[in-house]
Amino acid sequence: MVMINNKVKIKTTNLNVYYGDKQALNDVNLEIHSKEVTALIGPSGCGKSTYIRCINRMNDVIDICRVTGSIEIDGNEINKKEIDVVSLREKIGMVFQKPNPFPKSIYDNVSYGPNIHGLAENKVKMDEIVETSLKKAALWNEVKDRLNEPGTSLSGGQQQRLCIARAISVNPEVILMDEPCSALDPIATAKIEELMDELKKSYTIVIVTHSMSQAVRVSQRTGFFHLGKLIEVDTTEKIFKNPNNKMTQDYITGRFG
Amino acid sequence: MSDEAHIVKSYEEELQNLNDSLIKMGSLTESQLADSMEAIIKVDKESADKIIANDAKINELRAKIDNQIMTVLVKRAPMAIDLRITISTLKISHDLERIGDLAKSVAKKIKPLPHDLPKELIGSLRRLGDLVQKQLRNVLDAYLNKSKESAITIWKNDEQVDDLTNTAMNEVADFLGKSKKNLELATHLLFVTKNIERAGDHITNIAESLYYLIEGEYLEGARPKGKDIEKN
Ligand SMILES: Nc1ncnc2c1ncn2[C@@H]1O[C@H](COP(=O)(O)OP(=O)(O)OP(=O)(O)O)[C@@H](O)[C@H]1O
Ligand SMILES: [Mg+2]
Repeated sequence: MVMINNKVKIKTTNLNVYYGDKQALNDVNLEIHSKEVTALIGPSGCGKSTYIRCINRMNDVIDICRVTGSIEIDGNEINKKEIDVVSLREKIGMVFQKPNPFPKSIYDNVSYGPNIHGLAENKVKMDEIVETSLKKAALWNEVKDRLNEPGTSLSGGQQQRLCIARAISVNPEVILMDEPCSALDPIATAKIEELMDELKKSYTIVIVTHSMSQAVRVSQRTGFFHLGKLIEVDTTEKIFKNPNNKMTQDYITGRFG
Repeated sequence: MSDEAHIVKSYEEELQNLNDSLIKMGSLTESQLADSMEAIIKVDKESADKIIANDAKINELRAKIDNQIMTVLVKRAPMAIDLRITISTLKISHDLERIGDLAKSVAKKIKPLPHDLPKELIGSLRRLGDLVQKQLRNVLDAYLNKSKESAITIWKNDEQVDDLTNTAMNEVADFLGKSKKNLELATHLLFVTKNIERAGDHITNIAESLYYLIEGEYLEGARPKGKDIEKN
């Protein structure tokens, strides 16, 4: 039995997103529970990335993008002008499909965020943050003797774990992951999945994935999107054993794509 | 259920092959059960030998289905309805195999029977055998048609199987009470009756698996019981 924690961390209500005239999300009402992994699935172009980019206001950087409706984190509205997006993104980390370490040393990749946000008063404290972040990301043992080498010198799977270390270095509350394993081999994927299991004890995680079995392995709840609409959201067990909606079933069983 | 076909044609074929194997196994089990009922009533020792030999075919099919299912599981990681089809087929094939085993056990009891069955015992035994055969036929049809209603009816009808078992057992006990000479025949017949009832239990299991396949939920409540008769 999975423990289902019912505290809502993120809540979107009537969320609509437009890229110019094109509507990418249509009245999405979704509650994401605290300290759980929520998987978002659905065919390419259905709006999964658009959805998670709303949560840390990453869509702000796209000129033609317009977001309406409500996005609450811990009950506080974040879809309004007055919100300081820099401190919002400190609370909400993001990991992308392609590992994207900065062209800096492994150490600097992890210390970058804490530096900007002034989280370490001295070098000793910063060393500590870097070490714990790398340990939490299950990368420490592999890099502890080469912290000054460039982050880009790592393998793909290691780079992705470095990006996770970077995301958790600022001690966020939410981690958004957009297909974090799509470029990784099964071993690296397994390490990231194992890591998510560990991370969800402290963080709320939202993962976009095209792998149904990954969604089953890592998540407690799953939401299925289609053409910008949230079709069904339920416990992962329910979605993959016996979904309510025929469209969900046809998608996860490979009957349309 | 989904009327749509898989995008991947070979996946569709694999599930179809699985379905075909199960249907084949079902009809083979059906005739083994029918033959064993006929043979016990007629005390047909020749037919008994054939039934015993034929059981291997059912076991082979079960092994084939096991393999087909392992392949589907590793190749496709089936989800939702496909997962339920795969798992239910696995369970149903094992229940069919057990029914086959029970038909074989009945056949094995025919050979040591000392003489023909007394007329007074044939009626109940035949009724029980007919009912269990009908239940098996119905559950296989229900599987073909994916009929939830039939699954429920079959599941409920197990109560009648239990009642008829009870009657048949009582008649054998009365027969035994008449004379000590009847001991050997009565012992064999009690065993046979019990085996037919057990075949009925496996049919009920199949109805349960079928219901789960269709609905994604378990049939509610405890299995129906006939008048207080001891199971297992
Ligand atoms: N920057 C953009 N400018 C214009 N349209 C965009 C932009 N980003 C996304 N879209 C459109 O919005 C819709 C949703 O895109 P989104 O990237 O959210 O889909 P997705 O579900 O993440 O797909 P995938 O699984 O392929 O990553 C698509 O029709 C896409 O073309
Ligand atoms: Mg995307």
